[in-house]
Amino acid sequence: MALFLEFFTFELKYRFKSLSTYVYFVLWLTFSFLCVASESFGPIGSGNGKILLNSAYANTLDNVLAALFGIIVIAAIFGTSILRDFQRDTYQILFTQPISKFAYLGGRWAGSFLTTVFAFSGMMLGTFLGTFAPWADHTRIAPNHFWTYLQPFLSILVVQIFFVGSVFFAVAALSRKIFIVYLQGVALFMFYVIGVTVFSATRSLERFWSGIFDPIGLILFNDVTRYWTVIEKNALFVTWSPALVNGVFLYNRLLWIGVGVLSLVSVWALFPMSVEALTARSQSRRAAKAKEHELAEALPVRSLVAAGLPLVHQAFTSATTFAQYLSLSRLRLRNIFRDIPFWAIVALLVAFGINNGHFAGHVADQNVWPVTYLMVQAVEGSALLFLFIVAALYAAELLWRERDTHFDGIHDALPMRESTDWLSRLTAIVVVELILLAVAMLIGILMQTIGGYYHYELLQYFKELYVVTFPQVLTFILLALFIQTVVSNKFVGHAIVIGLFVLMPILFSFGWENTLYLIGQTPAYTYSDMNGYGHFVPALFWSITYWLAIMAVLGVVSIALARRGAEDSLRARIRLALRLAPRLAPIAIVFAVIAAGAGSWYFYNAHVLNEYLDSKARRDIQADYERKFKQYENFLPPKVTAVDAAINIYPDRRSFDGSVRITMQNKTNQPISQIHLTDQRQSASNVQFDRPFHLVSSAPRNIYSIYALDQPLAPGETITLTCNIGHQSHGFRDGNELPELAYNGTFFDSDFVPYIGYNRNIELDDPRRRREEHLPPLEEMAHRGDPLHSVNNVFFPFESDWITYHTVVSTSADQIALAPGYLQRQWQANGRHFYEYSMGSTHILDFFAYISARYQIRKETYRGPDGDVALEVYYDPAHTYDLDDMLASSRAGLDYYQRVYSPYQFSQFRILEFPRYRTFAQSFPNTVPYSEAIGFIERVRKPTDIDFTYFVTAHELGHQWWAHQLIGADVEGSNMLAESLAEYSALQVMAHKYGRDLMHRYLRHELDGYLRGRAGETRHEPPLALVQREPYVWYQKGGQILYTLADYIGEDKLNLALHNFLMQYRYANANNQADASPNRNDNPHPSTTLDGPYPDTRMLVDAIRAQTPPELQYLVDDGFNRIVLYDNKAVSATSQKTPDGKYKVTLEVQARKLQADGNGAETHVPLADYIEIGVFSGKKDEEKPLYLKKEKITEEHKTFVIVVDQPPTLAGIDPYNKLIDRNADDNMIDVTRQ
Amino acid sequence: MALMIAGLSKTYPNGVKALKNLSLSIGNGLFGLVGPNGAGKSSLMRTVATLQDPDCGSINLDGIDVLRQKDEVRRILGYLPQEFGVYPKISALDMLHHLAVMKGMTSSSERKATVDALLQQTNLWDVRKKALSTFSGGMKQRFGIAQALLGNPRLIIVDEPTAGLDPAERNRFLNLLSSLGSNRTVILSTHIVDDVRQLCPRMAIIASGELLLEGSPSDALAALNGKIWSKVVATDGELRTLETQLHVISTHLVGGQHEVRVYADSSPGGGFRPVDSGLEDVYFLNLSQQANGQLPN
Repeated sequence: MALFLEFFTFELKYRFKSLSTYVYFVLWLTFSFLCVASESFGPIGSGNGKILLNSAYANTLDNVLAALFGIIVIAAIFGTSILRDFQRDTYQILFTQPISKFAYLGGRWAGSFLTTVFAFSGMMLGTFLGTFAPWADHTRIAPNHFWTYLQPFLSILVVQIFFVGSVFFAVAALSRKIFIVYLQGVALFMFYVIGVTVFSATRSLERFWSGIFDPIGLILFNDVTRYWTVIEKNALFVTWSPALVNGVFLYNRLLWIGVGVLSLVSVWALFPMSVEALTARSQSRRAAKAKEHELAEALPVRSLVAAGLPLVHQAFTSATTFAQYLSLSRLRLRNIFRDIPFWAIVALLVAFGINNGHFAGHVADQNVWPVTYLMVQAVEGSALLFLFIVAALYAAELLWRERDTHFDGIHDALPMRESTDWLSRLTAIVVVELILLAVAMLIGILMQTIGGYYHYELLQYFKELYVVTFPQVLTFILLALFIQTVVSNKFVGHAIVIGLFVLMPILFSFGWENTLYLIGQTPAYTYSDMNGYGHFVPALFWSITYWLAIMAVLGVVSIALARRGAEDSLRARIRLALRLAPRLAPIAIVFAVIAAGAGSWYFYNAHVLNEYLDSKARRDIQADYERKFKQYENFLPPKVTAVDAAINIYPDRRSFDGSVRITMQNKTNQPISQIHLTDQRQSASNVQFDRPFHLVSSAPRNIYSIYALDQPLAPGETITLTCNIGHQSHGFRDGNELPELAYNGTFFDSDFVPYIGYNRNIELDDPRRRREEHLPPLEEMAHRGDPLHSVNNVFFPFESDWITYHTVVSTSADQIALAPGYLQRQWQANGRHFYEYSMGSTHILDFFAYISARYQIRKETYRGPDGDVALEVYYDPAHTYDLDDMLASSRAGLDYYQRVYSPYQFSQFRILEFPRYRTFAQSFPNTVPYSEAIGFIERVRKPTDIDFTYFVTAHELGHQWWAHQLIGADVEGSNMLAESLAEYSALQVMAHKYGRDLMHRYLRHELDGYLRGRAGETRHEPPLALVQREPYVWYQKGGQILYTLADYIGEDKLNLALHNFLMQYRYANANNQADASPNRNDNPHPSTTLDGPYPDTRMLVDAIRAQTPPELQYLVDDGFNRIVLYDNKAVSATSQKTPDGKYKVTLEVQARKLQADGNGAETHVPLADYIEIGVFSGKKDEEKPLYLKKEKITEEHKTFVIVVDQPPTLAGIDPYNKLIDRNADDNMIDVTRQ
Repeated sequence: MALMIAGLSKTYPNGVKALKNLSLSIGNGLFGLVGPNGAGKSSLMRTVATLQDPDCGSINLDGIDVLRQKDEVRRILGYLPQEFGVYPKISALDMLHHLAVMKGMTSSSERKATVDALLQQTNLWDVRKKALSTFSGGMKQRFGIAQALLGNPRLIIVDEPTAGLDPAERNRFLNLLSSLGSNRTVILSTHIVDDVRQLCPRMAIIASGELLLEGSPSDALAALNGKIWSKVVATDGELRTLETQLHVISTHLVGGQHEVRVYADSSPGGGFRPVDSGLEDVYFLNLSQQANGQLPN
């Protein structure tokens, strides 16, 4: 024991004398301090704006991240504690002493453990200090309680240190090689990061085993807290209770503590305490070596007379220099290739590449074609970190190799130039990187082949991997070489290189977004099959040139400062550098000139030709707009009734121009004397009215202008506004390129047309950002029935009701231009294509878009009961996979919607592909721009795959009814009238094609999406009928509620309710405007032009109530007006064979119903609900119902006895998750035979 | 071939004065450099081998300014450092070929002939394809010798070359060195004084960065003729007494008893008998005189 204490205290003393211990401590202190003190840093600070920054939840998550990034720190402390003896050969002395294994290993381990715990305790102090930072967001800092710090620290980090540390300790003690310790540290980190990425990519809903086997805790943490609401996040601890999410946290901790204990036991059992055993790699090998030496020494005696050496000739020409360079490069490469760690890296790269490549074609339950851009992204994504690791690792290894192997005495005295030597090092790393990139490419092609995709685009691989990515890797290599040249210690160099690598994204998120000072950065870019690298090319080219040239200058400096000879001091090296300067300076100057030139050109484009706005500046503009002009929000303007636009798109210049004529009508009962225009895009100019007017005020950037009419606009009277609109792209920007404009795939909407009045959508909505801008909380939407807002619709409040639309659009000769409306004529003039579209007198929402691309077209005619509809898909020639699916969905949707809702109001329905800079589909009147990233590359392989294309198409088609026929008032709840009903419509169309069973799988994702959405709520969650800006409520919850309602009351009943609601309230305020009167030139009487109310969710709920039987009315209330959650669970199920050959199933269930408030605080409510009870045969996920019945359940525990004909395998309560259940996994249970 | 070293001084950042105004001139043939550990031998050799710069002084090799025209020196230099390591997993053959290229041997046939000859000379032929990292200490030292002789160097600097060699290899190496020495400059540093006596027409003794003696070993020996006296003493006490009275230059253990050698112009009496002087006596005398603050003679 005394000896143990001796080792223990020695280890502690050693560690606490060492600077690194304090560096680690300060590192964690800084990390956790920033997590609290900066809103742009850390997972909590930059996330949901309502979660307390020093809550147990936040501390737990910060600790999990520290556990992840701390792997290397733990490896460094535990690994080196034992290896020290072997690196310094002190083991020879140590192990000849009488020391016990326990004292030696135990003392070293315990000392390391305590040191590591100390280092990581910086996390607690940092968070604590952060809460006192005056600039921190103190609305998110709770009073400090010690337990909220200590509990997460003990249960996450201390356990982690024990487990990871013990494993590293064991590996170090048994392998006695530092490189293996670091390699396994890096491997664990990589495996983990990539594993987590893959797991989240699959969007699996599995939450039990994934949590238990998570060695670090990211997935575990997500599994445990996934559905926690804000209140829970601010109050709860991640505890070791077996009741917390089925005890997943408890079991996880026990498992990994067990692994830690096992490592310690095995090191204790296997560690040999003798010099003999420690030195010998293996007895046989040692013997073989000894024998070899004996043989070598025992060779026949040779003459002692020295024979002369052959004459040689030396030449030192440039050819010699080149030969030297080749020989050195070859030697260095051979060194790398004969290195086991290198092959370990290659093996890891291949493994991750294959894995990621496999998932390039799988997202959630959705299958997509592994097109090249997805595959390159997958294999490059998995390789990139390795490429950087190789760069950092080998930059150091190669620069220090001569010194590490003590070969420098010979090497440095060789007659070679410093530049030859340096270039050979660079070449070796570069060759390795090129090979790794080729490996990544081959894996990509292999995985495409395995995935059944044979359209190999080698050029695209080459461009992405070698033209775009490689220069960035090269930049990093040069930087690493430079840093390793300047610093005096390899590991300090590593720390700086990694630090810089990590620092850049952090600086970016802090608002330092300028590519010109973020080392090695290039602006973000997206490859698109439609547009290639498109407009990103110049910015990429110049930023890469700029950074490469800067790094080349550093490279020249590295050559000058190269270590050569016995003296390493910087003074000695600078002396050498000065001697080399005359030769090297011209090269450095050339590169410096290139860097300055590229930098200046970049600056000119990004900062002079284009206005440079970082995200803070853009938020300032939004906040300014709100502060200055929100006062005009409820100022009643005339409403737009007609739009006539002539637009010329110049795709090759990413520009457009044109003019627009907007007809407006005073639909109030007051004269209007002012017209306000919001011009968010700075796209409008030369604003004119058809009567005398003057400009009253305009704002910077023309964002808001007020015009006064000399003669006020009388009620019912119309006025015409004309203006030029357009956007000219100049040069390139530092990121933030407009996604709307592309060489192939222009798609912009009415955003570029001035908005009449104040546009609420410009307001900042993130509470955190609003606080930062000192804005009050975002205004709530008006209550239903509010007189002012009820006469406006929710999409274009105070701007328009319905419009008629006509446009002429032109584009380049090789492209097709589209806009909503029927094609009237098309022609060519001046080498350009012209198209005229018109909606005639059909009313549409004031929502239109312009699209232009090189398209192929698939057309067919849908012959329906209410007339023909032309179905058209405009697609990129490469994307033919899903055209049939889209058309099938359109047909099925038209069938269903026309049958149950109303006739389709248009005679065409068009789908238009656009580049994947934006990933959505959007429903304009009879026109749906659809991103190439969703839907166009989908493939359905297995019957269980979800046909997302079919679903999205049906959803967008549904909007032609729910939005384009019926639109709600500008009050709370109205968004669901469009989105939930479109979602419901699509779910039904889907169900009719794929059957109800598959829909349950899909709805599980909807349920998960809803529960996660509410967990991330930054304001407060409303009930469905009062939804404001919460997509997870109007999509996922709305779809689920309506689908379940149809299941309970009957699909026909619900559809009838929707039909009645639609027919009563559609086209509100369409018939009171000028274009609706028989004679357009008449100014109708004001009373007939006054806007009436739009429908809201009260009318929808009433319509549904009317079709709902009394005993299910509670479902309508729960679904629309409350936030209701169930906690249903199958407790046990047994079956007995009855004498008549049937099976008697005894099923014990538990049912609870909870009501939540907007913050997620839950209260139990009494049960009197119909819940399905089911018994199934077959495997899980392929089960077939033997019995399924909705039972009225009034108490929490209930036992059912059910007799079925076939052998049962599963039974449960609400087995299909039709109700919203926070723990949806435990509703079914295996049936035990008795 | 003549190497002129003048006024060389070097102080390391930690304050150690490695060379103190050292001047030497070294001509063709083998030149032995002896001195105790830390005398500055390696510093001097590294400086000549272009691996470090002195604080002041100059070195001239047949008109080449060694301190400035380093590349010129390196082209004609063969250097074996006192301690060196090797790259792992590279064979002796590959490494020598590589170093031959580095030394400007552009003709591959010449390169092969030289490398093969050197491998034979250093008795590494049979293990030439083995990785250097598996070599024993002696084999590694022989590899070091082989690489130093690559490319027909006219200036050869070998720092403690015979350390770690068995007697047979040491003899062979010394033979090889002396066969090379006639038309080039070979600087051999050692603390085995016998090596110098056997090989070197000229030698220098340095200690604490200063030159104690420069000349031919035979001259140095002649100067001591008849001035070295020896006596075997039985006890430590007796030895201590002698040390205070006489100029003791060295003691050796012979059969467990001390053989004391003193320097005196005439017999110190009391059982001392005259003995032949050896080079070691020269060495120790110079060191002890320096330690006593006397000028070397």
